[in-house]
Amino acid sequence: MTSLITSGSARTGRRLAAAIVALGLAVLLPATAAVAQDGSPSPAAKKVFTIGIQQDPDSLNPFNGFLSSAYEIQGIMYDLLTGWSDEDFSPVPQLADSWEKSTDGLTWTFKIHPGVKWSDGQPLTAKDVAYTFNRTINGENERPKYDAYVKNIKDVVALDDLTAEFHLKAADPIMDHLWVPIIPEHIWKDIDSKEVTSFSNEDNPVGSGPFVLAERKPGEFIRLTANKSYFRGGPKIDELVFKIFEDEDAMVQALRKGEIDAVDSLGGTTFQSLQGAAGVTTVQSKGLGFNEIGINVGAQTVDNKPIGDGHPALKDLVVRQAIAYAIDRNALVDRVLRGLGEPGSSIMPPAYADLYYTPGDKEYKFDLAKANSLLDGAGYTRGSDGIRVDPNSGKKLSFRLFGREDSEESKGSVQFVQGWLKEIGIDAKVTIMAEDKLTEVIGAGEFDLFEWGWGVEPDPDFQVSTFTCDQRSYEDSGEVYAGWSDSFYCNQAYDGLYKQQSVQLDRPQRAATIMQMEDMLYTDLPYVVTYYQDNLQAYRSDRWTGLKPDASGAIYFGYGTDRYRSIDHPSEPSDSGGISTGVLIGVGAVVAIGLVAGGIALARSRATEGDRE
Amino acid sequence: MATQLDRVSPGVGPTPGETPAPTPPAPVKRRFATGAATVIIRRVLGAIVSLFAVLVFNFFLFRVLPGDPARKLARNRHMSAEQVMELRRSMGLDRPLGEQFFTYLNRLVLHGDLGPAFSKGKMPVAEYIGDRIWPTVLLVGSSTILSIVFGLWIGIKGAWQRGSTFDRLSNAMSLTLYAMPIFWLGIVFLMVMAGNQMGLGLFPTGGMHDVTPPEGWFANALDVLHHLFLPCLTLTLAYLAEFSLVMRSSLLDEMGQDYLTTARAKGLRDLRVRRRHAVPNALLPTTTLIFLHLGFIISGALTVEIVYSWPGLGLASLEALEFPDFNLLQGIFLLFAVSTIVFNLMGDLLLGVLDPRVREA
Repeated sequence: MTSLITSGSARTGRRLAAAIVALGLAVLLPATAAVAQDGSPSPAAKKVFTIGIQQDPDSLNPFNGFLSSAYEIQGIMYDLLTGWSDEDFSPVPQLADSWEKSTDGLTWTFKIHPGVKWSDGQPLTAKDVAYTFNRTINGENERPKYDAYVKNIKDVVALDDLTAEFHLKAADPIMDHLWVPIIPEHIWKDIDSKEVTSFSNEDNPVGSGPFVLAERKPGEFIRLTANKSYFRGGPKIDELVFKIFEDEDAMVQALRKGEIDAVDSLGGTTFQSLQGAAGVTTVQSKGLGFNEIGINVGAQTVDNKPIGDGHPALKDLVVRQAIAYAIDRNALVDRVLRGLGEPGSSIMPPAYADLYYTPGDKEYKFDLAKANSLLDGAGYTRGSDGIRVDPNSGKKLSFRLFGREDSEESKGSVQFVQGWLKEIGIDAKVTIMAEDKLTEVIGAGEFDLFEWGWGVEPDPDFQVSTFTCDQRSYEDSGEVYAGWSDSFYCNQAYDGLYKQQSVQLDRPQRAATIMQMEDMLYTDLPYVVTYYQDNLQAYRSDRWTGLKPDASGAIYFGYGTDRYRSIDHPSEPSDSGGISTGVLIGVGAVVAIGLVAGGIALARSRATEGDRE
Repeated sequence: MATQLDRVSPGVGPTPGETPAPTPPAPVKRRFATGAATVIIRRVLGAIVSLFAVLVFNFFLFRVLPGDPARKLARNRHMSAEQVMELRRSMGLDRPLGEQFFTYLNRLVLHGDLGPAFSKGKMPVAEYIGDRIWPTVLLVGSSTILSIVFGLWIGIKGAWQRGSTFDRLSNAMSLTLYAMPIFWLGIVFLMVMAGNQMGLGLFPTGGMHDVTPPEGWFANALDVLHHLFLPCLTLTLAYLAEFSLVMRSSLLDEMGQDYLTTARAKGLRDLRVRRRHAVPNALLPTTTLIFLHLGFIISGALTVEIVYSWPGLGLASLEALEFPDFNLLQGIFLLFAVSTIVFNLMGDLLLGVLDPRVREA
């Protein structure tokens, strides 16, 4: 009886193994062949450009979506009235062919390009423009994202199909750079203001841009198809895909392999590893931002109520100057950025040429002796431990220095700065923390020095505003909220200049005012600007051509979304990428072999068990 | 295992409402029936209490973290302090913490609503989780099943043929895999099997679908399998070791027991002794382990999801944490907790069925 059962089960075992083997062969091999058959003809005909990114957009709804990937993709789906020039970021026609302002700057008239159609075939007219702006101005949920652009607009009227007239409360230089995507009235009139907050806009959204959203898989990719009848010329590619990678190494592998065609926002090490890689061209463009060592110059709320526990010696300009002389910005670029950047001076990056300030004679050239003599001269004498003492408060010059956990560059910078400060008798206690935590301690004024940075838009208003008195922390029902200021700089003369530039419609005049403000900041040192980090991208130049850099040199994620239209295969198209038939058969073979091996092993083990009995 | 220690004290009386078997059985059997009912009720109550504790803990845990989602969205975006405040208000973050908690509970308990996900354009949290749960279930589910099957097989075979070449090899391999960081293992597979610089270039480097998915249901399923292979392999190898090692050691424990000698002395064949006597007893710790693992199916394998950009819940929780998106975090972690608690409960109950000592204690 027992032997019957065991031999029976051994037979079952062999049969099971045979079945697994059969399954492996029967399903996988023909199946991979099948995929290869219906897979291969279409991708060869279709031109698909795939960009690897590391940030899933938060929303594709123009009234929502704040991440840079969301801005980029919304900018592809919709048009603005004006774009940015590829030479110098100055305004260029996009939906509007031309525009003019009244002498007082209170009335602006935009002429819309004739014959523009929405992706559903309806004509795009000045009425859509008026609808977009009026809705944004008056909508409780629509306004927050675009407030900076519409704050001075009273209303917008469509004079005829191609003319939109803007009426303003006050002159505003932002008017020729209105970063508000124009949406179709015939679609959005059915989406009420309450619904707009959570509307996903992913179900066949109607736009006017060069690409139309085809499919979004959250956490995976966003696929857009070309609008071949785009009014400024249809894209040469058929599809544009943004594929999301969480891991940078995996993304770079995919580029090397040709699974994707381009990558954005690379780290310095990966970028350098791609230099010289076969078929890959690396693109190093000027960063549109800066990094700084921020200084607590005396934290106060907007009502001048002191908050926090910043070191009193940092209120002394001499100490801040000594710190500025003690920071070797060239060394930071070489050592921390691996040479991929420029040493810093001002809060406007060099990419914005007409706003970029150079200090000339005033420059705080790296000079430890000068820093030491400044401090000696101001009475900061060294104690027995070599640390200087503040003659006014009697406290040691011992500062907290905060770096950011998420950034290798930040951690590197604070290490270097700590070393230099030690040379001038200042003790810096380094703490590395998350940006969220840093935001919190800065808002509360509980810091001395920190390392962080800003991205800067072509319009300088926001960046210069972060140093105004109004941007210091504010108190609301007993709770302190951070404004945008993270140095607590407050200077009436600076605020006056800020007001002045905010109504200057003449760009050179406004640029001159901005320069004055930058000079003031350079002199007063709420920040020591450390460097401008380059923006690092790479693409498969063996398969693609026609990538058009913007004014900073970036080939995508730049300003103006004209870029994707000119991308094309080179005239001699090489073998298109994707998964080849061979690969698929290889996969099938590997899996099948595994199953066969497993099955045989199983059968053998059963057999031996049977034999042993 | 903790679950085994958590036994019910003897002498608990019959519970009203729970009907014993209709025909009055032998006294021993009745004692079992009422005991089992008590055990079940106790375990279920325990699970409900833990669930509520998790609900409260989750809420306050994430609020203690520094971070202001409104500011995060607005940074570098040309928004005034008033607009940031407006954004904060629209997220309900300007209310006192107690009030926020009450709103959260109220919404969850009365309407089953987890609130909007602020980092996902205010999409309902439940809907977003619904999108992201299946990739994780597919990945962790398939690799858990594979690792259980292969792990148990290796463990049983190794223990039974203790000291054999198979045992020594498999044991060494299991220990190596057990000690290996999953992240590293994943990167190695990625370089070797997916990359084409030093590797074979056989598999995609990430994601779950091709960006231009093939037509047809079957071709689509194959496309997903193609993407699934490497993450599943990585995870299977990582889990495998635990199962095989635990199975091996508990079978070895049983093999020294007197009842096996008795069984052999009765003249039973080796295979029968192993299948009927040794393995069922040795399976008990492994059962606990399996159910602990099933609980993690939902919480997934964060590291593997990161390496392979697998669009599951692990990755979603990371994105939510970076933001930080409180509602989404709460929703995801509630789900993690529920799955862990439910599978633990099932494991406990099943252990009672499998092991008379547990239900009679």
